[in-house]
Amino acid sequence: MSHTTLDKPAPAPPSAPVARRRAVSGASSRGRVVAILFSAPALALLAVFLIFPFVSAIVLSFTNQRLASPLPVEFTGLENYQRIFTDGQFWRSFGNNTLFAAIVVPVQTAAALALAVLVNRQLRMRLFFRTVYFLPTVTVMAVASVVWKVLLLPDSGLVNGVLGTLSFGNLQPGWLSSTSWAMPAIVLTSVWQGVGFQMVIFLAGLQAIPASLYEAARVDGANAWQQFRHVTLPGLRNTLVFVINVTAIFAFRLFDQVYLMPQFPGGPTDATRTMMLQLLQTGYTRRMIGQASAIAVVFFLFVLAVTLVQRRLGREERTVR
Amino acid sequence: MRRTIVIAACAALGLTAGGCSGTGDASGGSSCDGKIDGKRTISTFYHGGGEEKKTFLNVVDSFNKSQDQVTVKVQSVPEGTYNDSVQAASASDKLPDVLDFDGPNLYNYAWNGDLIPLDDCINVRTQAELLPSITQQGTYDEKLYGVGAFDSGVVLYAYKSALKKVGARVPTGVDDAWTAAEFTDTLGKLKKAGYERPLDMHMWYGRQGEWFSYAFSPIVQSAGGDLIDRDGYRSAAGALDKPEVVKAMKTFQSWYTKKYVNTEAQDDTPFLKKQSPIAWNGMWAYKNGYKKAAGDDLAVIPLPDFGTGSKTGMGSWQFGITRKAEDPDAAAAFLEYLLTKKSQLSMYDAVGAPPSTERALKETDIYAPDGPMSLVTDSLNQAPDVAVPRPQTPAYPTITQAFSQAVDDISLGKDVPGALKKAVDTIDQDIKDNDGYPVQ
Repeated sequence: MSHTTLDKPAPAPPSAPVARRRAVSGASSRGRVVAILFSAPALALLAVFLIFPFVSAIVLSFTNQRLASPLPVEFTGLENYQRIFTDGQFWRSFGNNTLFAAIVVPVQTAAALALAVLVNRQLRMRLFFRTVYFLPTVTVMAVASVVWKVLLLPDSGLVNGVLGTLSFGNLQPGWLSSTSWAMPAIVLTSVWQGVGFQMVIFLAGLQAIPASLYEAARVDGANAWQQFRHVTLPGLRNTLVFVINVTAIFAFRLFDQVYLMPQFPGGPTDATRTMMLQLLQTGYTRRMIGQASAIAVVFFLFVLAVTLVQRRLGREERTVR
Repeated sequence: MRRTIVIAACAALGLTAGGCSGTGDASGGSSCDGKIDGKRTISTFYHGGGEEKKTFLNVVDSFNKSQDQVTVKVQSVPEGTYNDSVQAASASDKLPDVLDFDGPNLYNYAWNGDLIPLDDCINVRTQAELLPSITQQGTYDEKLYGVGAFDSGVVLYAYKSALKKVGARVPTGVDDAWTAAEFTDTLGKLKKAGYERPLDMHMWYGRQGEWFSYAFSPIVQSAGGDLIDRDGYRSAAGALDKPEVVKAMKTFQSWYTKKYVNTEAQDDTPFLKKQSPIAWNGMWAYKNGYKKAAGDDLAVIPLPDFGTGSKTGMGSWQFGITRKAEDPDAAAAFLEYLLTKKSQLSMYDAVGAPPSTERALKETDIYAPDGPMSLVTDSLNQAPDVAVPRPQTPAYPTITQAFSQAVDDISLGKDVPGALKKAVDTIDQDIKDNDGYPVQ
């Protein structure tokens, strides 16, 4: 084997430009074959698990395909889309998704940034704190949901115990059984579980900012806030754009928490119903795969639009610099 | 590029349509010929957990040991989303040989072709021994598709001493059940007497399974309505949104708005500790701690009467054989074993459910005439006038989901006619989407 690796084409002598060009074009076509070969496994997997299901979802969204039924499948045109768009429950879930993202994206990003700045300092036991803040991310969301469900129990839960002591028993929300507190409970759980991941990304970003910039700023007489505002933030711009993007996409995929935490998935009275839950229940509980596929397509287009807008905004920030 | 997409799309559709027609020719499942061919290992889904499951596993174990031809393997499936799992297994052609299912889902599975008729599988004598209520609930399109080892019922449990304290009478049978107004009044008095949340409706059983439909549809039926118009099973309109039903569900809602119901309970503690002296619960609670906690102070009372007499739920988990069973006789042998007196009585000991044959029923101490739970047996004997079977239609999975959602919404204070209307629309839409579920 070692013999073949030595068998590389020798660099062409500079005095023969024509031969050299031919060698290059030969190498590049061979390179293309190699590239295709190397990417083939990934491409095949992408095709089987991403492109094929996606195309199939688009096709199914124009039919009345059911989960399991002896009745024949029929082409129904745009009826599935028409039903979705006239369905109050779908709009409710769409609204909940948007509300959730609107709260979680800024809160989680800010919290992650704060934590990252905190554990980036020369604190004692900072490794310990880094680990502690990152731990929830390692926890499976389903487990986190169940744990928080117990913590948020109205009468015996830890959260209400603390709140009760702090507010002298005045603030005792029913959390998951109350239409106004259920969403905040979901937000709390999600931020707690998700913040560690963003913190680590921010931490990497922080460590890439040269210490000399801070030294220079200090020499110029900048205080801590000015250093953060004019050194840290600009240095983190690309990280920030990435984190916001990813958090937004995760936020729209909200499912585990709203499925597991309220007594009725998406409850109470649809206060935490999301598009993913709507999709699952349409497809499985109501057994309408066609209509569920239509929801999937709408969801995809929506997330795509949000991502494109965010990328555009992110890029503009960069050109300003 | 465009052509590639079209081809891919056609391929996608072709494949899924193929998968669909695969489930379509379900009648192709084998049938019973009376003998087991060689050694067989059969699989079964099983719901639930706790004592019930432990006992079931013991019965399976003793079946496996009792003979050497058939081995049963049990696969546990969570109860809350049991129907979803079965539908998914059916769509992906991964059904087990034997399926257990909460009674009324049977009609959908049978219509779907997932189950095969048991008429030739189960011994004629065994079939004849089953209580009429069980065979009736296991029948779709005049064929027997499911057999259950026990039946069930919903009752009110109460502490006599608490009722006495507020001067409420203790009904003894279906005929002198409390009226809805009387019941509401009693709850109010109990609250005044210091019971902060006098009623446990067992909301914590989970809103996803059958509890809401099973336990609360008797309210609808007692008011003179139903989950669906049973004449042809074509529509829920005029049955579920009747003014009488709206009125009854408003009474139901008032128990929540007046804070009579313990909505935050996570287990049976409220009744066991007498914090909630009345519990709306299934017959299984008697042997699962209630009798032990209350002793002679325990009263078993029929559900309140909302106008046309007290009603109650019935039916339970049943077993059927799927089209995937290679040798249905092997599966049938297992079902026969489940229906033996010995198996039934061991399930009775664990779950406290009324066995489904007269022979086993006679040997139970709580369901025998004059037994403490004879109310359940009496109600079952008067089916469908007192114990009402859940609607026998393939639309049932949708009906139960729509009704549970409505009950949940109503208990959380949503507008009653609106919630019922939404359920009616969902049910009618589903029936329309399935061309009225034509008999296959």
